[in-house]
Amino acid sequence: MSLPLYEIETFLNFTSSELSISKKSISLETCFRDIPSWSSLNALIYISRINEETNVLITSGDLSELNSLNDIYRLINERKHGNN
Amino acid sequence: MAITRHRGIKISGIVNVIPELSEDNLQLTIINEEERAKLVEHTGIRYRRISLLPVKNLFEKGIKEAIDLTGWTYDDIDVLICVTQTPELSIPSIACQLHGDLGFKQKTICYDINSGCSGYVYGFHTVASILASISKDKTRALLCCGDVSTHLLSPEDTSTRPIFSDAVSVTAIEYNVNDSNITARFNLETMGNGQSAIYTELNAQNNRIMRLNGIDVFAYSVKYVPQNIETLIQSAEMPNEMPSIYVFHQANKLINDAISRKLKLTSDMVPHTLETYGNTASASIPITLCTRLNEMNNWVLLSGFGVGFSVASVLINISNFVPHKTIEI
Repeated sequence: MSLPLYEIETFLNFTSSELSISKKSISLETCFRDIPSWSSLNALIYISRINEETNVLITSGDLSELNSLNDIYRLINERKHGNN
Repeated sequence: MAITRHRGIKISGIVNVIPELSEDNLQLTIINEEERAKLVEHTGIRYRRISLLPVKNLFEKGIKEAIDLTGWTYDDIDVLICVTQTPELSIPSIACQLHGDLGFKQKTICYDINSGCSGYVYGFHTVASILASISKDKTRALLCCGDVSTHLLSPEDTSTRPIFSDAVSVTAIEYNVNDSNITARFNLETMGNGQSAIYTELNAQNNRIMRLNGIDVFAYSVKYVPQNIETLIQSAEMPNEMPSIYVFHQANKLINDAISRKLKLTSDMVPHTLETYGNTASASIPITLCTRLNEMNNWVLLSGFGVGFSVASVLINISNFVPHKTIEI
């Protein structure tokens, strides 16, 4: 694991950088679909970067059941700890 | 998984047929300028080729060039297989149409295979199996692979239009019963629960339109392709069969880089042609293979993956000189 995405601050910094949005504009409660840069291309890049950093794979089926950045954060942590 | 091994099979020539007409992703008007730059950076695809001709015409050109390149005659061909998902006519098969148009002999086995991005390896396996089953010491086949995928695209679809490209490739393959060496090992797999990752649907005008779920294609590819390849290499159990070059289906840079990373491959081991040719479905492996054919004298790993969801890899010995040619029409 290159970046400790299990740490909330690291995860939010990572998300801010990958989705080109200021850190001040997002929190764990933010709905990721409401982020202006969220598009099919940026979502794919974001998911691939999560995989690169954590080895966790997220599918479109997973995303359809998630709403907030906290949901993604929790999924990463669950899968990183072998619960997938 | 289905692991198979084959003796006495070799590639004797490859002809790639690529449409001259191209589209530049940096000029795409369906996304904004910032997205265009990001798209090219992350997919690795700058140009895509557009064929105004049906796939059968591209195959025909490739067959004629392959006959010329190898010095074979139509009488020599025991098997003609066409791998495509974009036939202009579904009946009869393109292989049978070309059989009639080009004057192949009655003895020639002809049929089409409906397969996409894993189709080159699946087609190769089919050809290798048939050639070895014919009651002759030496047998020959032409394997035609490719699609005119742009004929299935919606111009407004930002997921598919920047990715898919048209091209075909024709590979000449020979079998010699007197060559007892294992020259090819395959690992063929299907994960049908991934069927909705890439599919076609009918639009209001009753035309087939291809749809792509990029996140699922990424997830299936990264999950299943590295393990398919690792299983194949482990099954060989021979250190001298370790490939020095890995030729992947050219899906997009995000996927191909992730697979390379999982397999711990260095960039010099993984040729790519995405920038110039885009994702050319089942033609992408032979097109990319040809960029490194002149330096090969041992084992190479070819891996196709995609629509199905389907994954197929082959470890093949390429120690002979393989004439090859890439033409634009």
